[in-house]
Amino acid sequence: MKPERVELTGVRGVRELAGRVLRVRLREARGLTGGLQRRDQRGLHDFRIACKRLRYALERFGELEPSLGEMALRLALLQDALGEAHDRDVLLSILPPAMAGTERRLRAEREECVNRAGTIWRALSPMMQALDSHRISMSI
Amino acid sequence: MKWLTKTLHDERRALERARRRFVIKPNEKHLHDVRTAGRRFRSLLEDVADLAPCERLLRRVKKAAAATDAARDATIILRLLEAGLDAGETELARPLLEELQVEEAAATERARKALRRVRFDS
Repeated sequence: MKPERVELTGVRGVRELAGRVLRVRLREARGLTGGLQRRDQRGLHDFRIACKRLRYALERFGELEPSLGEMALRLALLQDALGEAHDRDVLLSILPPAMAGTERRLRAEREECVNRAGTIWRALSPMMQALDSHRISMSI
Repeated sequence: MKWLTKTLHDERRALERARRRFVIKPNEKHLHDVRTAGRRFRSLLEDVADLAPCERLLRRVKKAAAATDAARDATIILRLLEAGLDAGETELARPLLEELQVEEAAATERARKALRRVRFDS
């Protein structure tokens, strides 16, 4: 999934740069939350990648605004959960059909991972809204 | 913009250091480190492409990352299978475990060779 281009024409300083990048990456992640609801492999993958881009941007600009670091930390946990679900999907795709016990276990773990990701994402919602409405001030 | 110049320089150097460590000692930790440094740098290049277009460098970073995908997949899937195997299915899993062990070693070596040929500090 290609990242959305960040329009940076006329940017004058790092805070303005941070604001523009974060706004686009936040929009991207929000736009892909359908994957988390559908729980399908492709949708979860795209959502995970968008969250990863947002997380890296938050970490990078965290030195300008410490509250961004807390969001990045939670996104890292969300990414871990989605990554663990993805790894189970990959293993399930190559598991011999006779291994029913292992398959059941992996499927159950996969669902737990997706549930965990959903819980983390919902908990992130107020922070995202704060960022979106500029209450986390980046002077944007 | 000073901040951007410094950040690009620092992340590029971090990737080059991680690449060297992996080429010298291609283990699981160094594989993880070089992939993480690559993803971070790639996301930075994509975020600021409007201000600092580096298409050739971005292609190089993507290509290097792709060269490590198979090694990462084999390593992670092998660990997951070893850890999550149903007790009664050890024998059934043996061929897949062996296949993954062979693939982990071969893919890691392929990744090492690919990363030996690329540099990020030039």
